[in-house]
Amino acid sequence: MSSTLIAPELRARLRELRISSRRSAGGDGLGQHSSRSRGAGLEFAQYRAYEPGDEPRRIDWKLYGRSDRFFVREAERDSPLDLWLLLDATASMRQADKAQPTLRKFDRACTLAACLIEIALRQGDRFALATLSSQSPLLIAPGRGARHRDHVALELSRSTAEGNWPTSSAEGVIGARIAAHALVIVISDFFDPAAFDFMRRFAGAGREVRALQLLAADERDFPFSGGHRFIDPESGQERRVDAPAVRKDFLARFGEARAALARDCTALGIALATHVLDEPPERALRELLSDAGARR
Amino acid sequence: MMLLLAPLGLLALFALVIPFVLHLVRRQQLTDTEFAALRWISLRTQPQRHLRIERPWLLLLRLLLLALLALLLAQPVLESKSVDRDADWVVVAPGADLAAARSRIGGAGEWRWLAPGFPSLDAQLASAPTPTASLLRELDAQLPAGRKLTLVVPEQLDGLDGERVQLAHAFDWIVVPGQSPAVATMPAEKRQLFVRFDADQAAGLDYLRAAVAAWNVRVPACCTLDAQSLATPLPADARWLVWLGADLPADVTAWVEQGGVALVAPQAAKDGDANVLWRDRGGTPLAYEHSRGAGRLISLSGRLDPAQMPLLLDDDFAQRLFDALRGPTPAPTRASAAAVEPLHAAAAAASDVRQVGRALRAFDPWLALLISALLLAERWLATRRRRGART
Repeated sequence: MSSTLIAPELRARLRELRISSRRSAGGDGLGQHSSRSRGAGLEFAQYRAYEPGDEPRRIDWKLYGRSDRFFVREAERDSPLDLWLLLDATASMRQADKAQPTLRKFDRACTLAACLIEIALRQGDRFALATLSSQSPLLIAPGRGARHRDHVALELSRSTAEGNWPTSSAEGVIGARIAAHALVIVISDFFDPAAFDFMRRFAGAGREVRALQLLAADERDFPFSGGHRFIDPESGQERRVDAPAVRKDFLARFGEARAALARDCTALGIALATHVLDEPPERALRELLSDAGARR
Repeated sequence: MMLLLAPLGLLALFALVIPFVLHLVRRQQLTDTEFAALRWISLRTQPQRHLRIERPWLLLLRLLLLALLALLLAQPVLESKSVDRDADWVVVAPGADLAAARSRIGGAGEWRWLAPGFPSLDAQLASAPTPTASLLRELDAQLPAGRKLTLVVPEQLDGLDGERVQLAHAFDWIVVPGQSPAVATMPAEKRQLFVRFDADQAAGLDYLRAAVAAWNVRVPACCTLDAQSLATPLPADARWLVWLGADLPADVTAWVEQGGVALVAPQAAKDGDANVLWRDRGGTPLAYEHSRGAGRLISLSGRLDPAQMPLLLDDDFAQRLFDALRGPTPAPTRASAAAVEPLHAAAAAASDVRQVGRALRAFDPWLALLISALLLAERWLATRRRRGART
């Protein structure tokens, strides 16, 4: 499943990237993140049956000797980093470019999420995913390993972008599941002000939040000519306009909105990366995961 | 120069509004587009109603098409150039002495006959008499304004009518020796009254003899009386006949229909189309007049007998009989040319006349051809552009 989401050349570039949390210092676990209390804290939680994909070194060989079956020791806190990916799955994410009508924002969001999961998997971090939509939201609890990755990828491929932004109670359900130390990455177009409010609630609660804004090239350039009836996929509103006449005004106001979002994110300490559909995805990933963004 | 026979047809030019409306009001083709960033599209620009004209060339073609159709409805005609020459006209009435005319005018100008169609002097004229007054009016109507006219007429001008001719153009009235060719009429002298009588009506013969004698008193030896029995045939040149007998035989009836005038007494048969010719003092009809082919039949209600026709004893019977046989006198058409010189009419009055008789040439077929060609072009342009828009 993940192979369709991530193109091979993109997968090759992912090796250069790593996810680092500014709160990872001081944590415990086997993860790649540096820790001062080395080797400690392996609090035994439970045994569980071996599953393909688990690392062989985590097999309890003594138990194997006794029972002739593979068991894996699970510690309570293996990794200091929980990666929560929150994907905007409202109808506005269906937006695609005229030049490339099959590539929707949501498809690109899935690709980016898959890339991030791939990186987290490589680092041994736990990752979780939720889609934000008023219709059939998806919520996958944190997990680790290739199996969990495939599970997430399968669920992602089934989900579609429709409906509006979820109600605040639905937001609360998701928020309650996210641990305090988790790294939250929100992938959205941030057109709905509720998206930023949602993000602000996490940031205010002390979690590390990064934002990845997805834009279509049409929204950046507004290349329409002639008369258009623009329809908002979420609210159903429409505007009948002569596109060239409103272009200048639209670009000014849209740029103003983007600048306002960047300003607000900076004020809250949220790292913001912007990705336009006609750009290569790794650039956005690099910007999102860069140390500068992380250390802010 | 173009004229419109039906200028109200130009009201169809109001139809020019239709393509304008079509090209203006036709809603702009709006492309439906899903656009998530709708909230940043300004609301103020929503009522976008540009006065924009789509496909200006097609509109132009359609306007032209409608304008030509309106023109076609207005029935345009071209004023023919055939009458429109620069040279002044010299119009010669037939019978005028040409040599005398040339010596008085000189050779200048365009010389034409005053005859139907106004042929040039080279053309041979039929010897038939021409309606001079009518031709003068026609000439005045056809000739463009401002052209000078020289009219050459013979001293004795025929073909006139009761109305004095009025011409809008400036003209010279030149009288030269000559005489218009005239209708050959029966000479006024040498009339012969043929009487065919039955034996029992011979008494009436005296009254006729007295009447003819009275005619001869007025104009000496102008009339003769030829009284014979009923069986005697009529000579070929006989014009007047008094039939004192029973019904007319077939050959006499045929003679009447070829132009003879017959007085029949008594004749009881009354036709519906008979005019009452004579009445007695009480108003009772005494004589009727019937048309029979080219000739006339005068029927008396009784015999030629003072008891039945008290008229016979009146002193004006001879004159009445003469008038009845001669029939109505034709209006005089001949006059001295100097006396009937046309009047110069005011130009305003003449301008109405000028509109009528002009030589006009319609060009509707060519206009229709042009319109159909334009229609084809319009269809082609309209469908071509539409096809181009789809791809």
